[in-house]
Amino acid sequence: MIASLFAAQACAPSECFAVPANIAFGICALLMIGAAIKVVTETNIVHAALYLVVVLAGVGVNYLILQAEFLAVTQFLVYIGAIIVLFLFGIMLTRAPMGRSDDLDNAKLRPAGIGAAVMLLVVLGGALLSSFGETHLVFSTANSTTALSDAVFNQYLIPFEVVSVMLLAALIGAIVLARRD
Amino acid sequence: MSPNAYVLLGAVLFGIGAAGLLIRRSPLVMFMCIELMLNAVNVTFVAFSKMLNDVGGQVVVFFVLVVAAAEVVVGLGIIVAVMRRRSGISADDLSLMKG
Amino acid sequence: MPDFVAPTLDLHALAPEFVLAGVVCVLLLLDVVLLDRAKAIVGSIAGLGLLGSLVPILTLATSDHPTRTMFGGSYVVDSTSLLLKALFIVSAYVVVLLSTNYIGEGDYWESEYYTLLVSSVLGMTVMASARDLISIFVALELLSIPAYMLAAWSKRDGRSNEAGMKYYLMGVFASAILLYGMSLLYGWSGSTQLSEIGRAIGEKNSPAVTLGVVFVLVGFAFKVSAVPFHMWAPDTYEGAPTPVTAFLAVASKAAGFVALIQVIGQALVLRMNVMIPVVAVLAALSMTIGNLIALRQTNVIRMLAYSGIAQAGFMLAPFVASQYGGIDAIVIYLVLYAATNLGAFAVVMAIARRTRSAEISSFGGLFSYSPGLAVALSVFLASFVGIPPLGIWYGKLSVMRALIESQGRWATVLAIFVALNTAIAAYYYLNVAKTMWFDDAPEGESTPIKVPTSLRFAVGIALVATIALGVYPGPLTDAATPEATPAAAPSGR
Repeated sequence: MIASLFAAQACAPSECFAVPANIAFGICALLMIGAAIKVVTETNIVHAALYLVVVLAGVGVNYLILQAEFLAVTQFLVYIGAIIVLFLFGIMLTRAPMGRSDDLDNAKLRPAGIGAAVMLLVVLGGALLSSFGETHLVFSTANSTTALSDAVFNQYLIPFEVVSVMLLAALIGAIVLARRD
Repeated sequence: MSPNAYVLLGAVLFGIGAAGLLIRRSPLVMFMCIELMLNAVNVTFVAFSKMLNDVGGQVVVFFVLVVAAAEVVVGLGIIVAVMRRRSGISADDLSLMKG
Repeated sequence: MPDFVAPTLDLHALAPEFVLAGVVCVLLLLDVVLLDRAKAIVGSIAGLGLLGSLVPILTLATSDHPTRTMFGGSYVVDSTSLLLKALFIVSAYVVVLLSTNYIGEGDYWESEYYTLLVSSVLGMTVMASARDLISIFVALELLSIPAYMLAAWSKRDGRSNEAGMKYYLMGVFASAILLYGMSLLYGWSGSTQLSEIGRAIGEKNSPAVTLGVVFVLVGFAFKVSAVPFHMWAPDTYEGAPTPVTAFLAVASKAAGFVALIQVIGQALVLRMNVMIPVVAVLAALSMTIGNLIALRQTNVIRMLAYSGIAQAGFMLAPFVASQYGGIDAIVIYLVLYAATNLGAFAVVMAIARRTRSAEISSFGGLFSYSPGLAVALSVFLASFVGIPPLGIWYGKLSVMRALIESQGRWATVLAIFVALNTAIAAYYYLNVAKTMWFDDAPEGESTPIKVPTSLRFAVGIALVATIALGVYPGPLTDAATPEATPAAAPSGR
């Protein structure tokens, strides 16, 4: 979709696309990181779920920028449409405190958690920059959805069938566990 | 344009999710942190898929999306089962067994 | 854009999985059609279905093309994977035998229980053939997700809820870590196939590859409950219904090892300088810490859980000697460990039916009033210790042989650890045997314990397997030794 918009222009897609994509990514990334921090610090559990929506939507926008249109649509449908609703149902079904609750955090572990995150980030960031610093994203006008569906129903047919059994098992088990008896 | 920005964003989200898992006590919020981590993984996979011009990374994300949905369903099922027995659950209350 | 080309499927090679999927459907439909009358037969149907799926495995093993490859090498059926599939299916059959009375007597959801059990086994059989990251991840989730729910299956028991919750949180967290590692390996190699990844990371190292390898190994370390990622195991094992515990301790753990065998044997073996230190540290810690904590346990199930952690260490060690038959040693050890451990669980369950407790002290004087069970449990404990000619002694021998033949620095250190820990473990295993044989029976315990037929049968299968495979391990060794796979040749380093 986005790819076809840019394909009509006179320059190579990777070049035309770069500036608007970078701006969109920058805004999106800042919003996502902010919202992610809110998810892990917010004292109101419903608000945490709503901040998670921002992160998930940002991920969807990133997929669009990266020309993974099918995944973007699935992200909006499955994550924001279904999983967040499940979370909100879960909060209500378990009668979790809706307002502020101060015992949501384990204060003793907070320094350890922040320390672990910073360390992980430094190590990961260093490794990623030094390994993939010289590579480039390849933007194309081809439709990745076709390639994706061909791959899923050919090369990855067995995982696809396995996932269907897994969904069946998850459904049955969750009903048994959650029902009143 | 390099994939660095995207994979770094993935690393940041992964780190925040992991830290949240350590800090938070409510199982529901811990699930949310796990969802953060899975999404970080997905962004990384899609960025690599674009960098390599290979559809394999997108296929992984497709499967992770489905699996994540199933995991949330199962997790909520277990939480609801726990909640039938006691209210106001937090991970610290899960300590009938120690050893 | 080329048109879609349908994949060519070798239906014979997929037949065991088809049978298992059919069993899942039949179990569900029976429950819908027969309603309450289904309760009496679902256990038998599940057991028969599992045995039925052994038939295609036998025909595959005896066919002219023992090695079959599909999807460009993503799905491989060879003698080792057939052996592992048979291991999963037979273990699950024994678990069904253990469950028949336990699940029937409690207030459980029977047909759903067996449905989940069989679908988990389906995931394991797929895992035995999976040779790319996506199949491995999906198979791992199919085998774990039913297991999370089975651990929480006795809904009225707070400890079972807790077991399921802990197992679930740890398992999902491990999946996330594993996936991040996979993404790094994928980014570096540009392929999801293990053989391609091996080639790419073997040619050139980078910090991202190192991190990817470490993350993948840590993710699997959670699944096989290796120290320091073992925290969930004892609580989950104690809280879950006992047949489920047997399933987790044997089949689920074996599946984690099978995944490790694929990932390490096909890909990471070509990046030994990163893989070996990580695996060696995990193995040494698991053996030592698992054993030291097992020494202090007073509950047999918890003792088996910690000893399982130590045994996981023994099974991790030979990865260090992957190119010197280490992987074959792991497969052999897995089979023998499964037979012994299932037998031990079966006997403990039979005894706990009477004593309502799994405390070691409640086993006092067992020999005086129930000699059969005492002898059977002694055989399994002796096999755990590694006394020839019982089961695990041959596994320990194979592990030691691989470690010593490889002559690496890490391998030598690990060989010493294995020897020392075998000695420590002997103490607590034989302590249980001593309680059974020499301590006094508790007041009023004089009549023999009545053992239901299915449990008797389970103990019998485990006994025969433990003794027969220990005395005559030839066929097991043949099946576990693969015909020259690409990764077995130490090339591309």
